[in-house]
Amino acid sequence: MKKIEAIIQPSRFESLKEALREIGVEGITVTEVRGHGRQKGHTEVYRGREYSVDLLPKVKLELVLPEAQAAKVIETILQTTKTGKIGDGKIFIYTLDDAIRIRNGERGEGAL
Amino acid sequence: MTSGARPVLAANVCVSRLQPRTGEVQRPNRADCEEIRRQIGQSFLAGAGAPVTIERLRQLADRCVDQAVQHSSFEHETESKDFAVISLGGFGRGELFPYSDLDLLFLFKDKRAEQKLQAVVAQASRVLWDLGFKVSTTARTMDECKRVDHENVEFHLAMLDRRLLTGDRAVFQQLEDRLLPRVEKLSRAFLHGELRKLTEQRLAKFGNTIFHLEPNVKEAPGGLRDFHASAWLRYLSSDGSELLGAEAAEHRTALVAAEFVSEVRCFLHYANGRNDNILTYELQVAAAERSLGLVDGQTVTAADWMRLYYRNARTLQRQLQRCLSLKSSAGQNLWQKLRTSVRPEKSQSTSGKPFVIRNAQLEILDCTALWDRAAIMSILTEVAQTGVMLSRQAERELAYILSHTELRQNAGELGWRELQEIFAGDYPGAALRPMHKMGLLTELLPEFGTIDALVIRDFYHRYTVDEHSLRAIEYLQTLANPGDARDLPFALLWKTVEGRDLLVLAILLHDVGKGMEVDHHVTGSLAALETVADRLRLSEEERAEVHFLIEHHLEMSDTMRRRDIFDAATIQAFTDSVGTRERLQRLCLLTYADIHAVNPEALTPWRAEMLWRLYLAATNHLTRSMDSDRLHASEEDSLLERLRNVPRCDGPMEIERFLEGFPKRYLRVHSTTEITNHFSLYRQLKDQPVQMEISSTPHAFTLTLLTADRPGLFATVAGVLAGWRMNIVKAEAFANSAGIILDTFHFTDPSRTFEMNPGEIDRFQDELESVLCRNRSLQPELSGYENHHLVSAPKVTCETSIRFDNESSDRCTLLEVVTQDRQGLLYRMSSALAALTCNIEVALIDTEGQKAIDVFYLTMGAAKLTEDQGSLVREALETALV
Repeated sequence: MKKIEAIIQPSRFESLKEALREIGVEGITVTEVRGHGRQKGHTEVYRGREYSVDLLPKVKLELVLPEAQAAKVIETILQTTKTGKIGDGKIFIYTLDDAIRIRNGERGEGAL
Repeated sequence: MTSGARPVLAANVCVSRLQPRTGEVQRPNRADCEEIRRQIGQSFLAGAGAPVTIERLRQLADRCVDQAVQHSSFEHETESKDFAVISLGGFGRGELFPYSDLDLLFLFKDKRAEQKLQAVVAQASRVLWDLGFKVSTTARTMDECKRVDHENVEFHLAMLDRRLLTGDRAVFQQLEDRLLPRVEKLSRAFLHGELRKLTEQRLAKFGNTIFHLEPNVKEAPGGLRDFHASAWLRYLSSDGSELLGAEAAEHRTALVAAEFVSEVRCFLHYANGRNDNILTYELQVAAAERSLGLVDGQTVTAADWMRLYYRNARTLQRQLQRCLSLKSSAGQNLWQKLRTSVRPEKSQSTSGKPFVIRNAQLEILDCTALWDRAAIMSILTEVAQTGVMLSRQAERELAYILSHTELRQNAGELGWRELQEIFAGDYPGAALRPMHKMGLLTELLPEFGTIDALVIRDFYHRYTVDEHSLRAIEYLQTLANPGDARDLPFALLWKTVEGRDLLVLAILLHDVGKGMEVDHHVTGSLAALETVADRLRLSEEERAEVHFLIEHHLEMSDTMRRRDIFDAATIQAFTDSVGTRERLQRLCLLTYADIHAVNPEALTPWRAEMLWRLYLAATNHLTRSMDSDRLHASEEDSLLERLRNVPRCDGPMEIERFLEGFPKRYLRVHSTTEITNHFSLYRQLKDQPVQMEISSTPHAFTLTLLTADRPGLFATVAGVLAGWRMNIVKAEAFANSAGIILDTFHFTDPSRTFEMNPGEIDRFQDELESVLCRNRSLQPELSGYENHHLVSAPKVTCETSIRFDNESSDRCTLLEVVTQDRQGLLYRMSSALAALTCNIEVALIDTEGQKAIDVFYLTMGAAKLTEDQGSLVREALETALV
């Protein structure tokens, strides 16, 4: 099993959600986050007041998948969210030991 | 029912007279019990009403409790003596819903009896559990009931609904006749206060609204708990007198409403098979299909059935609100009562008006004055402008007048101007909510009636559509006192936004299309606007503004969600659609309120920040692109067509010459009428080189000036205004390609010179003309001002910030000055710039409270400022602003 964590531009989220649904991904966890990588942000001034945009708004998606499905999902994320500009985000991939469905104690891929 | 009666239903008077049992008592049989329950359930589903069902369930439970206790006593060879079993809460009132808990109090004569009977209690509880009851038991000795436990107020409130079930009647009577009357008398004020607190906490937990899309029919506002809390509050606050007149009528209406909601609760219990009181979407459909609570089995849609539910819930909520406003006098001692009667209540005189503000609530003094609709609107305007709440008495008087059409006068003569006063107030929601509750809002805006209590079935919106719209307005008014960092930036916008009346009208109408059969609700909302605008006679500009806000009310949230808001192209496209900063402010506030009112969690700090970032980028783009974003007259066909109707126009070329080269903002902030007027002034420049006009609005004046550009012109006008002690709050300086400037100054007149002496306006214009045309010195006008401006100390201080931007414009340097506002400030700054031969190509002057925010597009020798020139300007301004 793989856990995929993708940090993407908020503007790409709607289309990515749709694309993941089309390839059969059923469960995702979504979090509104702020952060920065190489895209460091900037400062805006409004009416004499400085607003620093150092932590940029992003959306974080977390998915846990059977290993066989991971490559396709990663490909879909890349295709849907890539604009080629700085700030497109990152994908992190983890290998998972196990998963447990709390309701009935089921383990492994069956619990996904 | 008397207002002082304990709120136990009639069942309490027929407590069974217990007979001592001598023979063996059989343990109650679960199968029998289940069978009776099944029959009661079937009977309900076959059409027996909630009162019958609840009563039969109570009888079953009463019988089972009695048998369980008798059986246990027999098993343990004890007599039903020295203890009593008392039902509390809903069961105590005689109301037992299909899956409700049984709240039981085992009351012992003393500690010894408690110890002796512990086993009996335990076994009786087990038997009841085995019979399928969810039992919640409490054990107390008589001594333990002598005082109120402040840590367990809920128990004492539940005790208000007590009923003897079985056991020793003498023990119960001792509690009933000797103990509790004294305890309740002493603690009545305390219990009243605690009950109010608990009730308010409960209501707050549900957002203080009945309009939840999936309401909890027991706990949420408008649920059965409201009805019971009303009864307790009335009991704890009353002297036992009968309800009379309007109150008695209100109580009768509430009883009918409570019966309807009880019907729904019974239905939910049977449908869910458990004590679940959430009226889900699916069960709303099922309830409508069953015509639940409807007479004659009418068939209605789920949405219409929910409207019926909300009407009943609203009745219960109103009754509770009235009861919450009752004070507990019963707990006062003689001294307190005397003080209350002698001490005058804090009131605020509103001489000549039919109302008075007393203890921060508006009360009606002269009910007959309300026959005139203008008086009603003046009361609501007071509420919208001050935020004072209508007292219950005022609401009742207003509702009475509004429901009696024969008492109305001037009903047809009121329109947009009266509504504007309310919409433009700092607290429009404070007036709009009672107006909606009393039916006045839908009377004035019948289009709003299409969304009255309308449920939209999605899992995102939590409230009905009308509630969503009212909440949106209320969220805006709370920005006057922002709660957290998330709201702070928007609070600034709310305080300074122009056209608040139009914004509020747009919010009221933005979703009315959801109540119409149209493909997209915006289409319906825009159609509704047309009828509203025709009826209220909105001007073309007002209609266009509200139209824009409704049509684009989703644009900011869509841009946030689907576009990269840090991409310049996104901002460019968005600002092209919006046009002006003023409109952007309104759209931003509308978006903020619209998201916020979806549900309490919808406007996360993350989303609020996204919205603010988009606003920030867009407003800065609009400010910084003004110089490069110029008008090309030949592209403005529709405007040219309209201007051609100006009398004595020499043809399209003349119009094009006038418009060519103005910043596009000029078209966006001025109506066609204003532009036509400017064009007329422009045509008169041939005869008179300075054309000016002064117009007034309720709170300010506007000076429009057209003339050929010349050095120091802007500073000169600012200087004359300063010399006349006028306070410039906003100004704009535009120039066309032919070098004709069009300056607009919006100013207030703190000394009321123009208001008190209208003739002075002509003298002011003469002076300005002589300074501009005959180069008369400004010194006589400014002689008093230099000293005058020093005397008024600012209430809020603001640090000065001077910024230059050489990137945003191709040919100008952008200068932004933010500083403490003061009289003559613009004159000081613009003269300092003029002294350095800086040419002001465009100026945007604005104020925000005591902060001045001025933007100038500057050139020196027809080029941007060099770094050295910038330093000189900074130094000159710093000196001028000291």
